[in-house]
Amino acid sequence: MNRVQHHPILAEPPHRKLVSFSFDGMTVQGYEGEPVASSLVALGIHTFSFHHKDGAPQGLFCANGQCSQCTMLIDGIPRKSCMTPLEEGMDVRTLKGLPALPAQDEPLVQAERRSIRTDILVIGGGPAGLAAAAELGKLGFQVLVADDKSKPGGKLVLQTHKFFGSEKDCYAGVRGIDIAGILENNAKRYPSVKILPNAPVVAIFKDRKAGIFLNYESYLLVDFTALLVAAGAREKALHFQGCDLPGVIGAGAFQTLVNRDMVRAFKRILIVGSGNVGLIAAYHALQAGIEVAGIVEVAGRINGYQVHADKIRRMGVPIYLNTTIVRAEGTDRVERAIVASVDERYQPMAGTYRTYEVDAVLIATGLASCNEFLQQARSYGIMAVAAGDAGEIAEASSAMFGGRIAAHRLAEMLGKRTSVNPEWEETRQVLASRPGDSYERSPIVPSKEWRPVFFCSEEIPCNPCATACPAGAIHLRPLRGNIMDLPYFDGSRCTGCGSCVAICPGLAITLVRRVTDDQAEVVLPWEFSADFEPDRVFELVDQSGKYLVSATVHAKRRVASRSTWLLTFRVPVDIASRIAGVRVQAEDATRWLEQEDTACIDLDTPLCRCERITLGEIVEFIKANKIRDINQLKTLRVGMGACGGKTCTQLIMKAFKLAGVDPSEVEPATQRPLFMEMPMSAIVNEGMHKLGGKEAGSRGAP
Amino acid sequence: MKHYDVVIIGAGSVGVPLAWQLAEQGSRVVILEQEASWGRGQNRAAIGGIRATHSDPAKIRICLESIEIFKSLESKYGFDIEWRQGGYMYVAYDEKMKQQFLSLLEIQKKAGLNIDWIEPERVVELAPGIRADKLVGGTYSPGDGYASPLMAATAFHKLAMDAGVEFRFGVRVDSIKKEGTNIVSITAGDEEYTADLFVNAAGAEAADLAHLAGFELPVFPDCHEAGVTEPVQRFMEPLIVDILPDADSGNYYFYQANTGQIVFCITPRPQIWGRDKDSTSTFLPLCVRRMMELYPRLRNIRVRRTWRGMYPMTPDGLPIIGYPEAARNFLQVVGMCGQGFMMGPGLGRILTQTIYAGGNFDKPAGSTEFGFLFDELSITRSFEHAELLK
Ligand SMILES: Cc1cc2nc3c(=O)[nH]c(=O)nc-3n(C[C@H](O)[C@H](O)[C@H](O)COP(=O)(O)OP(=O)(O)OC[C@H]3O[C@@H](n4cnc5c(N)ncnc54)[C@H](O)[C@@H]3O)c2cc1C
Ligand SMILES: Cc1cc2nc3c(=O)[nH]c(=O)nc-3n(C[C@H](O)[C@H](O)[C@H](O)COP(=O)(O)OP(=O)(O)OC[C@H]3O[C@@H](n4cnc5c(N)ncnc54)[C@H](O)[C@@H]3O)c2cc1C
Ligand code: FES
Repeated sequence: MNRVQHHPILAEPPHRKLVSFSFDGMTVQGYEGEPVASSLVALGIHTFSFHHKDGAPQGLFCANGQCSQCTMLIDGIPRKSCMTPLEEGMDVRTLKGLPALPAQDEPLVQAERRSIRTDILVIGGGPAGLAAAAELGKLGFQVLVADDKSKPGGKLVLQTHKFFGSEKDCYAGVRGIDIAGILENNAKRYPSVKILPNAPVVAIFKDRKAGIFLNYESYLLVDFTALLVAAGAREKALHFQGCDLPGVIGAGAFQTLVNRDMVRAFKRILIVGSGNVGLIAAYHALQAGIEVAGIVEVAGRINGYQVHADKIRRMGVPIYLNTTIVRAEGTDRVERAIVASVDERYQPMAGTYRTYEVDAVLIATGLASCNEFLQQARSYGIMAVAAGDAGEIAEASSAMFGGRIAAHRLAEMLGKRTSVNPEWEETRQVLASRPGDSYERSPIVPSKEWRPVFFCSEEIPCNPCATACPAGAIHLRPLRGNIMDLPYFDGSRCTGCGSCVAICPGLAITLVRRVTDDQAEVVLPWEFSADFEPDRVFELVDQSGKYLVSATVHAKRRVASRSTWLLTFRVPVDIASRIAGVRVQAEDATRWLEQEDTACIDLDTPLCRCERITLGEIVEFIKANKIRDINQLKTLRVGMGACGGKTCTQLIMKAFKLAGVDPSEVEPATQRPLFMEMPMSAIVNEGMHKLGGKEAGSRGAP
Repeated sequence: MKHYDVVIIGAGSVGVPLAWQLAEQGSRVVILEQEASWGRGQNRAAIGGIRATHSDPAKIRICLESIEIFKSLESKYGFDIEWRQGGYMYVAYDEKMKQQFLSLLEIQKKAGLNIDWIEPERVVELAPGIRADKLVGGTYSPGDGYASPLMAATAFHKLAMDAGVEFRFGVRVDSIKKEGTNIVSITAGDEEYTADLFVNAAGAEAADLAHLAGFELPVFPDCHEAGVTEPVQRFMEPLIVDILPDADSGNYYFYQANTGQIVFCITPRPQIWGRDKDSTSTFLPLCVRRMMELYPRLRNIRVRRTWRGMYPMTPDGLPIIGYPEAARNFLQVVGMCGQGFMMGPGLGRILTQTIYAGGNFDKPAGSTEFGFLFDELSITRSFEHAELLK
């Protein structure tokens, strides 16, 4: 099975139970309670269905319950395999074409309407939602937090890395997975706060009610006064030839597989997009023992934090700027990816095409706010605010502040005498800032005393090194006067304790000292398995990943509180302070073949994945019918599929542009409930005897 | 100032097919529409049922014409509108209902409709899994069917464009200039239009326009919600209607579209008057419960989307067609109730014929045989004889 066996950060989940189930008639095994999709991927199964329109293979795409691409026949009924927990004896089948409705014709025995009341409904239990709930609880409101996952925490639960930001404000240096628990407990301290897991909000209605598909089996109406939308963001899709093959997945989906479900989903991946999400996905891949052939970025610069990018490069993952993916290839799943360099108009250039042998392509080209509930609430005239990524795409750190701020805004709107702490807004903005300027640091000559060396040269909102140093010897340069400022060592006293090295989320601090005339010691952070042979030779590299020297480990120790190893190497003194990290991945993983090709925009590839409508069909239709209103594309069924336009909406302007239509002329799509499909039996709470419902059919024959 | 032969207000179920057919005959036509594109009023809200099964001969006649046109969109003009001649089935679970249907059958057959009473076995054959307990049978009219209102409107819009109809989107008619009992011009979006004939095809807002022209129209927006499920393999053929009311709702109807999706709609009780198009929490549990009682097999199908629109209702459930006394060159094609999508094309054809046969205020049907239709659907009728299958 393709499972992550020894993860350097994640412990194997306790009490996991292997159960048997059937896949297309074969008996196989997976862990009870994990999503069926994850069990299958762990078994190397990537094709979940064949589309009813053209037989195209489909598989996992968002791993987040949003896209419906993972639908399979589970116990005879079509269900999203990424949201269906595995049970012993389940019958799982590849869905071929349209499913048949099972002939379960026994009469409806009991139906029941259930509703509860709350002051404030918080949609989403990520950092924003949890922080908001705690604040609202403190103010004395009745709060219901509805989150669609089995464990609150939102995206945090996927994040095995240490967080940027500041320790004081947002637990910087702590790993995302651990922050989730802290936030949840904070919110639960208030008795008026109730957190409902497995509770996707599927609709909000004009009569100030929200529908929840509770536990994915029943329907709960929530009668609320005001709404706080903290539903996070969804990943933007990208349109290229083969983008619909199983194996082309969102970077977040990948993290879900690898970090939440501990599935070693692929052997070698290519990442598209150099934002923080793409960069961190590379790191998560390496930790899970998955090779990364490279990161391609169509722009001329890296989109994420430079410390992040440097860290990934040092580990041996190349980042190619001005480069795009042109095609993914394979029968039934990704086997190869073809990339090319682009010109100023972002068009692939002849003679630059190359092929990578990979089994997955991760799309990390940005996030889009899940703000449909907010828009809808506002159009209904319902009091509502957004927080976190649902309001503005940023970081978990700023999401926490956004949550608190939103909580007070809402409280004010509800007539509570309160006001938003002005410092919070300032902090939120700083935490959400894009990187600032970069500075060159002066070279350092190691002395007999320990001292830290910083490979952090671009301003980002981050300061845990300064707060972690027990000697108080690390300060921020007082240029901006906030945590964007770069850290420096004040020269006073360094005990070599390694606190700064272990806490730095960018793995961008080392310690050096001279030990002999020509030898120095350098201490490097290591977030991989430390079970290596003592004579293993490591390649040590400079800030941007260039090879400097090879060495064996002189000493190692573990900083348990940060689950980070500190490795000490003895190296020539003249290069010691330039050594920034250890290469993790052999160069072999990044090899490629040149390729003769001319592929560019592909008109024959579906843009609407659910209904499989190609870009070309859409462009033609826009031209023939003079379309200026996205709603009219529904005639072609664009946006009418299971995902409700969540995937194609971000891509559709491409079609209008190609058809020669000015995007500003285009009327946006109207949103309608439901945001997630729900079976009829659940809507009427069939068979919910335990809830004490009335008999259905009491009116006699229908 | 722009002059046209015909100015139509409203690019909906009625306006677009009418414009097309007039232009085909050579008229210069412009449509004025407040929305950003065609069919975005109530046409979009319709679930797509198309039947000639009514209790009123005029409606039967109109819809028989419509069905011909809907069919020809595919066969003659090559548009896929997801038309399927699956028939309509009205089900009966008690003797009283059966008798009601049987007495209607006579009128319906006389008006040329292909319809018959069917026994429970046949009902179950057409709709496997339907509740058989207490089922006494139903009526079945195999000539009826269903199609996609979105695709049909787009087809009519394309045909109309190609025939030379001009469309003005995003403009609302907000003033009407009259001289005596004739309209001289109307204004929309700062532009003034003159014409030989003006047509009110403004759907749920038709009464507002009548008001601007100085008369009253008994057309009231009546809210209805609808929904659609995921697609599954075909298992049922006809559009099913259950007209037996219960405490919270009147009739409801649903069918399996060509795509395999179930589309459904219900009439709430009491009716909800107004123009609010926002979805409410009451609709789904109400409608789904009744559907599951009638058709338990639906329990596993997943609902995908819901929406809300308005029936442009009249007091008796029949449309209003004709030239009003107060504005004699202002043809009213309004009050389509729950059947505007299915009546639009047929009305377009019939009215085009009457106009080209000299129809006007004095002799609405011109030299055609459609006088009965103008009589029955006249604006000055008493509105007392409610349609049974409205
Ligand atoms: C790969 C990656 C790496 C990142 N790294 C960092 C980092 O190092 N430092 C940092 O500060 N930030 C980082 N972030 C950003 C951070 O994770 C997000 O900005 C943050 O999680 C946003 O918080 P949120 O509460 O707005 O949304 P989320 O954390 O996304 O939480 C929203 C929750 O709402 C749920 N939800 C959505 N729709 C519904 C519905 N209809 N009904 C019920 N529940 C619903 C979602 O499933 C989710 O549980 C990273 C993000 C990603 C994707
Ligand atoms: C839930 C539901 C289900 C239905 N199901 C069916 C069905 O199965 N079969 C069926 O036949 N019918 C059905 N109907 C009924 C059908 O939708 C209507 O009868 C029909 O759409 C009315 O057609 P219309 O052309 O009169 O109005 P519309 O299609 O609404 O067109 C009128 C147009 O006029 C425009 N307008 C109004 N005032 C102005 C102005 N002042 N200036 C400019 N433009 C203006 C409007 O914007 C609108 O676009 C259903 C309705 C609902 C709500
Ligand atoms: S992969 Fe399961 S819903 Fe997207």
